[in-house]
Amino acid sequence: MSKPLRIFLQGLFILASGLTSGGCVRQQPRADVVIVNGADPESLDPAIITALEDYRVVPALFEGLTRIDPKTAVPIPGLAENWEVREEGTEYVFQLRPGLRWSTGEPLTADDVVFSWLRLLDPLTAADYAAQLFCVKNGEAFSTNGITDASKVGIHALDRNRVRVQLNHPVPYFLDLCASPTMAVVPRKVIETHGDRWLQVRPLPSSGSHTLEVWRLNDKLRLRKNPLYWDAANTVNSTVEFLPVGSPSTALNLYERGVVDIIWDKDLVPSELLDDLKSRPDFHAFPYIGTYFVRFNTTHPPFNDPRVRQALALAVNKRRIVERIIRGGEPVAHQLVPTGVAKHQAPDGLIPDPDAGRKLLAEAGFPQGKGFPVFQYLFDSAAGGGAKVHAKIAVELQEMWRRELGIRMELRQLEKKVYLAAQNGLDYDLSRSSWLGDYNDPNTFLDLFLSNNGNNRTGWKNARYDGLIHRANLERDDLQRSELLREAESLLVRQEAVVIPLYFYLGFQFYDGNRIEGIHGNILGMSAVRTIRNKAMEKGRDR
Amino acid sequence: MSETQPASEGMAGRETGMSGVFKRFASRRLAATSAGLLALFVWLVILWPWIEPHHPYALGDAQFAPPGGRHWGGTDVHGRDLLTRMMHGASMSLMVGAAGALVSLVIGVSWGAVAGYSGGRVDALMMRGVDVLYSLPSIIFVVVLITTLESALKQWFSKAFSTEFAASTRFLLLFFGLGSVSWLTMARIVRGQVLSLKNRSFVAASRVLGASHLHILRHHILPNVWGIVIVYLTLTVPSVVLYESFLSFLGLGVQPPQASLGSLIAEGASQINSVRIYWWLIAFPSAMLASILLALSVVGDGLRESLEVRNRE
Repeated sequence: MSKPLRIFLQGLFILASGLTSGGCVRQQPRADVVIVNGADPESLDPAIITALEDYRVVPALFEGLTRIDPKTAVPIPGLAENWEVREEGTEYVFQLRPGLRWSTGEPLTADDVVFSWLRLLDPLTAADYAAQLFCVKNGEAFSTNGITDASKVGIHALDRNRVRVQLNHPVPYFLDLCASPTMAVVPRKVIETHGDRWLQVRPLPSSGSHTLEVWRLNDKLRLRKNPLYWDAANTVNSTVEFLPVGSPSTALNLYERGVVDIIWDKDLVPSELLDDLKSRPDFHAFPYIGTYFVRFNTTHPPFNDPRVRQALALAVNKRRIVERIIRGGEPVAHQLVPTGVAKHQAPDGLIPDPDAGRKLLAEAGFPQGKGFPVFQYLFDSAAGGGAKVHAKIAVELQEMWRRELGIRMELRQLEKKVYLAAQNGLDYDLSRSSWLGDYNDPNTFLDLFLSNNGNNRTGWKNARYDGLIHRANLERDDLQRSELLREAESLLVRQEAVVIPLYFYLGFQFYDGNRIEGIHGNILGMSAVRTIRNKAMEKGRDR
Repeated sequence: MSETQPASEGMAGRETGMSGVFKRFASRRLAATSAGLLALFVWLVILWPWIEPHHPYALGDAQFAPPGGRHWGGTDVHGRDLLTRMMHGASMSLMVGAAGALVSLVIGVSWGAVAGYSGGRVDALMMRGVDVLYSLPSIIFVVVLITTLESALKQWFSKAFSTEFAASTRFLLLFFGLGSVSWLTMARIVRGQVLSLKNRSFVAASRVLGASHLHILRHHILPNVWGIVIVYLTLTVPSVVLYESFLSFLGLGVQPPQASLGSLIAEGASQINSVRIYWWLIAFPSAMLASILLALSVVGDGLRESLEVRNRE
């Protein structure tokens, strides 16, 4: 090779390697805490998020009037220092902490709070969680276009630091709602200037314990401690990274190699290894309120027929799925509301009985599954590929229904965001679903299937169900209330069979207790980012 | 002197030549053994559904059973028999490979022959078309084809035919997509051969005697390219099988519960971890795919070399 050519080629090589390594991936020092968080968040906008992955990140960026105690999951003061409950529980006056500031230095005032909550209700936001504020005076009317004057909604700033909220009726879990990530306080000025693209603004003003340093899709999301947070003295880490890893094996391998410190998504623990993993000291299990279930799209035949839905529900061998596939010791679910939720009476669900299922299917016009259309089962794929437990459950269901009912199901796997969009747009036949309680009350599960709830996603509208839930929430007597809720739930999982509950969740986390502290398993399955400390990293820095 | 006699100039000793090829091929022990084993394997795959001890989709209670007396290939997470699934996977892979080879045979040979024989502007136009298709990254072409057309086609099929038929949309697209990228090399090779053949004296003689173009193509040119066509067919099959496995590995090929070797390997690969590896899930399907590809390549090579000897004569 001639000399000039060689120099040219060398130059080309250096240029190419420079482009690939320096150009796109800038090496950053390892974060204090690195966490495998399942999929990438769908969004960081509190009004948009619905998935657990988002729920674990967003509270670190945006805080609400109250926040969750990471140990007990009960609401404790957040941006609000204290509050007064008036008018027999139908009016709350929140007093914000003095001198609250956004991470960019601007003052955070009662106006921001009112703006954030009205934004959640605003039909233009189209928030799935808008129903959380339907208990507020005129909240539902404002959200469903009944009234357009926002000042009629019972959320007002009394002065710079005080917010008054008027409710339609006493809501026993209202302070829990205030701690929900969807009700967090967002920066009014930035949103008014930039509209839907406000999350792209840098620096992004945050009201929580951390600020957003970088978010690269399918790479990582990195948070940095917010020094202007009111409780910054108790934030025990300076940087935290969330990795979108979809494959349980990849997550485990990253963890074993020390690349990540924590795996906190239960779907990311390889279930086929659970028997071995359970006995390890760095394996932590805890109960939390969540249900894995299958949604029906009730707007199209044949699934608009309750008998068909019941038939499918009866033909599922839930015990096999729990014992053979999930293998974590989760209880089989015949209801939507998990056992252990406060003030709850479980109705009788549909106990698996393939014979009864076949009979119902025949009554609906499909004896032995003849003439039953081929339908699709929608589920979300793991980030970055890899076999998640959803795919395995899908294969099990597919074979159970083929064998027991003689009907044919295709699997349709979509990326998480696309999957959620398909579910929202009712672009599916059956869909894998799960729901995790936002607070410890049956209502957090049951109000999902109200006709006007953005998270309903089944197309199922039932006036009797709506009536029962509304009556229950006006009921002051706990026993009467749980009786009404039981009736409603029975309608949902038995008579109408809108969903097929499969099992109740248990939470799993992987972390080495000798190095990582301040991570907790609570019944909401949400640990606070601010309290997680990596002792090994601190030692490394001291040296 | 009959009309066909000049042709025998080009095919001098064709019969002995062909049998010579077989003799030479048979004398290559590796290639001959591979061909024999491959034929045996194909028969086994075809007959498997009648002799299989386990249904390929049947869920079982023995999950992750290691290879043993009851399940020779072990079982997967759903307790399904791996050997049975591998056999069905291999039949799927071979079927797609055969379909790809068939498309490359039909389109590739006729395209190349017509282009080479016509020459001039027609040739230029047809071969530039091939060049354009060549310039597309073929696997991405298939991926885009499947992802964009599948749902639309499926809807159309379920309206026009039946939902049963619509369920095989992915299949048809896979066949079509892989076929449409596998004929290009064949077309080029056939064209090259035809170009050199059409100026040979026996072709000229036939033309002088007033034979039609179709007659010349069918009787004088194509019989002389069969050898090379067969060689390239045997080399097309493994490349299409590999494409299919790759697509299934990515989740774009066959749909569960059906299996192909690619999707089985993907399942096995997801079981690699530091705690416990169910080795049979990755080792057996990979070994099977590798052996099939190797055998097909060896047979193809053997054929080519046997034929090249003839060409030198």
